[in-house]
Amino acid sequence: MSLPYSSPYIHNASSVRRTMLQVQIAAFPALLAHIYFFGFGITIQWALAVVAWLVVETLLLKLRHRPVKPFISDMSGLITVTGIVFCIPPESPWWVVVSAVIFALVFGKHLYGGLGYNPFNPAMLGYAFVLISFPAEVTQWTLPAGISGHHLSLWESAQIIFTGQFPPGLVHLTGATPLNELQTALVNGASAAETWAGSRFNDPNLINGWFWVNVAFLIGGIWMLYSRAIRWQYPVGFLSALALMAALFHAIDPDTYAPVSFHLFSGGVMLAAFFIITDPVSSSTTPMGRLFYAIGIGVLVYVIRNWGSFPDGIAFAVLLMNLFVPLLDQYTQPRVMGHKGR
Amino acid sequence: MIEALLVFLVLALFFGMLLGYAKIKFKVEGNPVADQIDSILPQTQCGQCGFPGCRPYAEALAEGNSEVNLCVPGGHEVMIQISEITHREPKEMDASNPPPEEPMVAVIDEDICIGCVHCIKACPVDAIVGTTKMMHTVIEKECTGCELCVPVCPVDCIDMVPLMKTPQTWHWPEPNANSLENRS
Amino acid sequence: MSHLVEHKPLKHRFIEWLGRFYPMAKRLLYHFHGGVFPKYHKSLSNRYPLVEDFIPELLTLPLQQHLGVATEPLVSVGDRVLKYQRIADTDKGLSAPIHAPTSGTVIAIEPRILPHPSGLPGLCILLEPDGRDEAQALTLPETPTSPQSLKTLVHEAGIVGLGGAGFPTFAKIPDQRGCIDHLIINGAECEPFITCDDQLMKQRPEAIWRGAELVAQALGIPRVLCGIEDNKTEAIKTMTQAADGLPAAAQTHTDFQVRPVATVYPMGGQEQLTQELIDLEIPSDKHAIEVGVLMMNVATLAAIADAADEGKPLISRYVTVSGMGLNAPFNAHALLGTSFKALAEKADPKTPLTYPLIKGGPMMGISMHSNEVPVIKTTNCVLANPPEDVEPAMPCIRCGECMDACPIQLLPQQLYWHSRSHEYDKVKDLKVFDCIECGCCSFVCPSHIPLVQYYRHAKSEIVRIEKEEEAAELAKQRHEFRLARLEKAEKAKKARLKAKKDAVKKQAAQTTRQSGDASAAAAKAAAAAKKAAAAKSPQTDQTTDSSAPKTAREKAIEAAKARAQKAAKKADDSPTDNPAAPEDRAQVKPADKRKAAMEAAQKRAQAQKNASADSASDKAARPAATETESKRDKRQAAMAAAQKAARKRQQSSDNASENTDQSSRVDSKIPAASPKDKRQAAMAAAKKRALKAQQKAQAQKDTQAPSPDTED
Repeated sequence: MSLPYSSPYIHNASSVRRTMLQVQIAAFPALLAHIYFFGFGITIQWALAVVAWLVVETLLLKLRHRPVKPFISDMSGLITVTGIVFCIPPESPWWVVVSAVIFALVFGKHLYGGLGYNPFNPAMLGYAFVLISFPAEVTQWTLPAGISGHHLSLWESAQIIFTGQFPPGLVHLTGATPLNELQTALVNGASAAETWAGSRFNDPNLINGWFWVNVAFLIGGIWMLYSRAIRWQYPVGFLSALALMAALFHAIDPDTYAPVSFHLFSGGVMLAAFFIITDPVSSSTTPMGRLFYAIGIGVLVYVIRNWGSFPDGIAFAVLLMNLFVPLLDQYTQPRVMGHKGR
Repeated sequence: MIEALLVFLVLALFFGMLLGYAKIKFKVEGNPVADQIDSILPQTQCGQCGFPGCRPYAEALAEGNSEVNLCVPGGHEVMIQISEITHREPKEMDASNPPPEEPMVAVIDEDICIGCVHCIKACPVDAIVGTTKMMHTVIEKECTGCELCVPVCPVDCIDMVPLMKTPQTWHWPEPNANSLENRS
Repeated sequence: MSHLVEHKPLKHRFIEWLGRFYPMAKRLLYHFHGGVFPKYHKSLSNRYPLVEDFIPELLTLPLQQHLGVATEPLVSVGDRVLKYQRIADTDKGLSAPIHAPTSGTVIAIEPRILPHPSGLPGLCILLEPDGRDEAQALTLPETPTSPQSLKTLVHEAGIVGLGGAGFPTFAKIPDQRGCIDHLIINGAECEPFITCDDQLMKQRPEAIWRGAELVAQALGIPRVLCGIEDNKTEAIKTMTQAADGLPAAAQTHTDFQVRPVATVYPMGGQEQLTQELIDLEIPSDKHAIEVGVLMMNVATLAAIADAADEGKPLISRYVTVSGMGLNAPFNAHALLGTSFKALAEKADPKTPLTYPLIKGGPMMGISMHSNEVPVIKTTNCVLANPPEDVEPAMPCIRCGECMDACPIQLLPQQLYWHSRSHEYDKVKDLKVFDCIECGCCSFVCPSHIPLVQYYRHAKSEIVRIEKEEEAAELAKQRHEFRLARLEKAEKAKKARLKAKKDAVKKQAAQTTRQSGDASAAAAKAAAAAKKAAAAKSPQTDQTTDSSAPKTAREKAIEAAKARAQKAAKKADDSPTDNPAAPEDRAQVKPADKRKAAMEAAQKRAQAQKNASADSASDKAARPAATETESKRDKRQAAMAAAQKAARKRQQSSDNASENTDQSSRVDSKIPAASPKDKRQAAMAAAKKRALKAQQKAQAQKDTQAPSPDTED
């Protein structure tokens, strides 16, 4: 109960916790869509991740002799684990998500000094870690109920996650994602258009789960823009760069390169645009820097998708652009009022 | 095979020439280490390092003939800077002789001063004025607070006093209260 | 020509509507970057009528109420002063005189805690009002027609920038006519809670315009713009009406306009309002007047009008007394020197005022170290906001809110990191000195980092470091100069010596037979010369007194040394020793070391001289010195002797016999002095010893010293 030493003596009542909670709330539509299309697996993964977060972060704060309560209740860890949960397949084994969370918090956050000091996006670091370590488990995605013909119950999901045993008769529940299919097709020299036309995901009677989850992310993202939890430069820069790249190559060779709409609404594009690359700690701080940062990620994602060996490149694109942040900060400083030039 | 060898040969030549050019272009003159150290020393000329003034200490350090932790007025910060410049291990300061917490200046009690000129001779920066048998006084602006004049006074009339704090000389303190980060 | 509030364009209205849902949309309503929209709470103090003619029991008038140098009091304790009487002024630099706000008695001139963030005391004139409010006759000055006459008028009236900066107004006014294109009247008042300018614009719009007219006339300004935030609709109305009422003659030369501006903090900043009204960015390295802009606060202009038309100096001002801790906030026409507490108590505080009051608004104000601090010329608000739970500062999450809010587009978080890690050169590169400390960044920081304090600290650190570097450079130069001088002296000495040697050699060469004799003769001659000098010096001391030869003492010492070295056992004592100290001489054994005695004598002579100089008596008065004086002389002498003795004892470990000699001498001397003197001498001896021996328990020794039996 004391006045701050120096003015100002009033505040707009924002806080780190509030900002983080806004992000968490914005993720709810996507969570619901996820449950609808892919079953309850994600809720189990999320619960696992939250438990892992609480245990790991408490332990690390204690080890670093930092107060536990304010740094847990700032909810920044929650955002990290939510990002990871949305990236990994909902029916992957339990140790995948746990190891991703542990890696993200230990190596992505606390070893660098905790909240505010991590140069890399912790969620993407954790995801990249499991993607490289356990590629088989992480790329086998649960197929939308419309395709597999079975909506997994909570109990069935739990069985798969904790025992690895599929319920009898349900072996073909998981498979490659549309992006995987396209990647395979590209590697084999097949035409993107043909592959997509002949894909089982392109059935007009079916609803593309990934598409709708992306739409849900978009809705949450727009709300975050409105509530100023995130800045417009990230989604605008990222999505427009990705769209431009896709449009350009699709125009050059429609046979090989997938159309813009496919790129924008597949994989984790919207998740990345609004929830991943918007992490302010590991991104550039100047308005121009943010735009360049987001554009860089967009270009890299397209490059990795089409010419890399991984089906989706968001994690690597984000981590690569994190490296450029100090440089961007240095060279994109705005003009100060009353000064000419920088 | 031969192409590869050629390529590497050309590359090696090119980089060799680049290095040679850089050596000429970015040549460093003189002995900048002593100058660098001298520029960070507080220039109180107090001699507490055992050298007669700041410059000799800087030169001794540049030649590697002295310890990095001898500058008492400079304190820990200067010690760190010196060890960075000289690429030597930082050494803890002597805890028994801490630097003054606030800037001090010498003041002569003019009622007691007998005009012996001892302090004038001791002052490294000529900041004391007066003449034989006349009362002396310290030019506050030029006093470095080295305390060299204190022991030589035969009548103990020189005191070190902290500079007066006024709203004009006051500094905003650094914030630290309530910060969760600074707690350990 | 002025015009009524124009109808806002459609776009403007749309943005305002949008602002209801998305507040940040309001940033499109103005031209500068950033800005914040705090809760204004202006109606708190606007609801109640103006409090006037409140004379408190005591007025505290700090000698410095402005930027620049402090004034010096023109009155002394006990003086009765009249209202408007000038009580403090100086001609030593940038300042503004201070006038008595009411009639009364000066009861003290002493340091009191100032309304300054440091909470340090400064010299104040304490005036006890007698309640009669007697004014001295005011002389009506001529209407200023030139910049010089305006400057004189403004300076004489003690007017400074009343908006808060406190820069003496006369110094702001340019010397030439016609170099100002725009006079901007700052009626923005963007700080929350404060309504004193609003009140002034509603109550005395004519005075503001009259002041503007005077300034415009004197400086030949073609355009006068008054910027008022659009949340003060009533003030905009009264000001517009009053502008229309200006004399036609004034309106032919100058265009007077009221310009409503968007309500955003910090619209009232000089750079911000200038950019908003005339779309001009003041370059960072230039003053506003260099680009043809002069900005004055509404209160300053009203004060200028009062000074010109009535001859009234600045003795009071409008002050807002507001805050969440008060039941009945109000605006007051308060006398300078009224204490914050007296004003706040009048506003019926909800809880006792045990928390610090704030001078100024909540965004840029400063919290007081004492609630008794007075209202000064720059006090626009006394704010009583009870402290709330301060959220602890979290680490920066680089969210960039601060950057979006900064009205001058600095990078607050980069400034913060570098300030935190004490990389002040980088902080300076990031243009920390352009920071206006408006507080927008701290206001929006979700991590609750006290950013502004970091910048304030960094600024003062940079200034300190620069000063220190300057001082170090000066010290270095002086040291090098000294070394050069000593070297030169040494060389000169050597040269002299060499020349002498050469001369001797030459002589020796000439008289090749007895070289040894010649040199001996030379040495003898030199010694004789020295002796003669020594013999002369004490005499001159005795006789001429005030103009003693500079090196007499040194010569004497040298002579003594020479004698000691030679160990010439000449029986005849130097006759000059006796007259030097006749009263002591009797008690000292004649066989004592001459050297010490001589020094003691020197000391005594000097002490006498000092004492006589102290008492400021002439030579004639000296023989008939008062008892205290002689006592003091004795004490000084004894002290000096004791000190010398003690020092000798410490340093000459090889000469044990001398040690005993000296101490016995001291003992023998002491009975001659009074007990008090003895104690003094003993103390001094103890002190010296302690110092020389580098004993750590000096303090202890000092306390023991008063008991003489423990000494020697």
